[in-house]
Amino acid sequence: MLRKSVLPVLLLGLLAGCGTSTAAGPPGSTITVKNCGIDVTVSGPPKRVFAAYQPAIEMAHALGISDRLVGTAYLDAEVLPEYASAQSKAKYYKNLPSREELLAANPDFVLSGFNDVFSAGGGSDESFGSRKSLAELGVQTWIFSPLCPTADGKGDEAIDPASVTMDNVYADLRGLGTLFGVEDRAEQVIADQEKRIAAVEAKVKNAPRPTVAILRPGLEGGALTVSGGPDFGTVLIKQAGGVNAFTDLTSKRNVKIGVEELIKRNPDYLLISGCCDAALTAASSQAEVDKILANPAFQNLKAVRNKHVVPWLFANHSAGVRGAYTTEDIAKTIHPDLFK
Amino acid sequence: MRWRAAGLLLCVAVLAVSVLLSLSVGNQYFGAHDVYLALADFSGSDNDRVIRYLRMPRTGAGLLAGAALGLAGALMQGVTRNPLADPGILGVNAGAALAVVGAIGVLGVSSLTGYVWFAMGGALVATVVVYLVGAIGRGGATPVKLALAGAAISALLGSVTSAITLLDLSTLNEFRFWVVGSLTLATGSVIGQAVPFIAVGIVLALVLGRSLNQLALGDELARSLGTRVMVVRVAAGLAVVVLAGTATAIAGPIGFLGLAVPHVARTLVGADYRWILPWSMVLAPAVLLLADVVGRLVARPDELQVGIITAVIGAPVFIALVRRRRLAAL
Repeated sequence: MLRKSVLPVLLLGLLAGCGTSTAAGPPGSTITVKNCGIDVTVSGPPKRVFAAYQPAIEMAHALGISDRLVGTAYLDAEVLPEYASAQSKAKYYKNLPSREELLAANPDFVLSGFNDVFSAGGGSDESFGSRKSLAELGVQTWIFSPLCPTADGKGDEAIDPASVTMDNVYADLRGLGTLFGVEDRAEQVIADQEKRIAAVEAKVKNAPRPTVAILRPGLEGGALTVSGGPDFGTVLIKQAGGVNAFTDLTSKRNVKIGVEELIKRNPDYLLISGCCDAALTAASSQAEVDKILANPAFQNLKAVRNKHVVPWLFANHSAGVRGAYTTEDIAKTIHPDLFK
Repeated sequence: MRWRAAGLLLCVAVLAVSVLLSLSVGNQYFGAHDVYLALADFSGSDNDRVIRYLRMPRTGAGLLAGAALGLAGALMQGVTRNPLADPGILGVNAGAALAVVGAIGVLGVSSLTGYVWFAMGGALVATVVVYLVGAIGRGGATPVKLALAGAAISALLGSVTSAITLLDLSTLNEFRFWVVGSLTLATGSVIGQAVPFIAVGIVLALVLGRSLNQLALGDELARSLGTRVMVVRVAAGLAVVVLAGTATAIAGPIGFLGLAVPHVARTLVGADYRWILPWSMVLAPAVLLLADVVGRLVARPDELQVGIITAVIGAPVFIALVRRRRLAAL
């Protein structure tokens, strides 16, 4: 289980003969918060933040630190409406910058929604380098805790499934709140998420649990890509009163399966995880939905027969402050009678 | 003569078995009776749909692409007298794949009858470029130099293909299979459209057998026996472009099949291209289908693309051929 502790560290404070240090700290003191087993130490709230990927960008806006963003990169879809105006003012990179481009923006903090930017041979083409290598340059880093790799430099293959929880999103909010001196805002965001998710869970408590598959559009090498157990979608589907049809596949977040495996599992709902453009909406996946509905091989799927193939967004099932929104969204889809 | 014909019949039987395996083995196993019902008495059940809409097109793609690549490899080896010739190794498939991705991704061509022409054009251009690069320097276009040039050009073309498919992840995801071959993307209608192209290529290839035998004696001797060397070369080149181009349009770039199978055939039937060509045409799809069946089983619930399996099987053959001392012996 991943644990995160807030440890105010007294360094210069002691030398100067000051008494104690609080989280906000007198000048010269530092704050350390542990993230994915790595000490993140700042000597004051970071002022130049680079947010990579949708979850990081949305969390930065949720924490109210939009004005400290020196760059935002790689949105998977439109940001939630409440962040649209803040995002329109932020500098945006369509693709992830290279390490050099990143450093040229002179950030003092990199917040990443996924772990691959810090993994040497990760899924992304651009790597910012390991977190240690950035810390040596004075750039502190943060990975969303539900995606902690077991070691710095590793990626999705090294996620501990036990860390894939909403509690870890709250822990991130608290940790970042402490580092950025916005604890109150963080607590507000957490309270809002908890309240909304609890409301959904109460409503679906006694409902049957349909199986839900999150499916990437298109075929890759003739195979389908679905969200496996370590994907945050598993948590969100559960909160919404369903079961991820591929929970038992735990090798990676995104698992490749043969088309026949989908037919064999025959899930009740198919959510089409459309991705990767700042202007993308759920409706953008409609063409893919139509293709699945028309595919003769899929005509016996429950989801196809009942027209339960839903145009959806990859952004929805990423760990982050979309948790409450997506829980509500899935619940409305799979328990329509309870949310009239 | 008679045993070669009997052997060819045996190859056909092996091919029939591999077709049956391709229809029955996979994520789920279907007995021969299930397969028969799906073909003869389609009821729309899960089994019927998996067999008819997933495994049949897949098997059809394997038959067409396999036959085409086996023939293309044998033709290339014969016409260039190069034992390392193979549409995968000499960059023909990579050129076709890049042209197809360009046609689909950039120009928006969507039907096979539209992009198969691009595939052939890409195959042709890649062949010429590989030949020109391989012919630079002392000794001309030796087998190993051509293979090296082909590998380099394949890598170059393959990376351009990757770059195009990565440009727009949302719409071009499915074209990633053009980087490594697979039998799973061709639908029934695509295969129907490909049949006439493959048929033309097969006829053209099979009538060239006698001329290839004479080419094997050397250009001078072939000429003195009345072979129009240039005409044979151009016809064979045309057949290779049609066969390898169409195969790539159906299944993406599949390597090593066209290399290994003609050598196996040559070992079994001797140096006579009138036999090497038909044996290659029948054995190659059998190998391709069996490789595909293996790919379905080894990484469940995922499947390995058949292009990966053929590379795993074919690379040792390639190495063995390169290490053979009498390399230019064809």
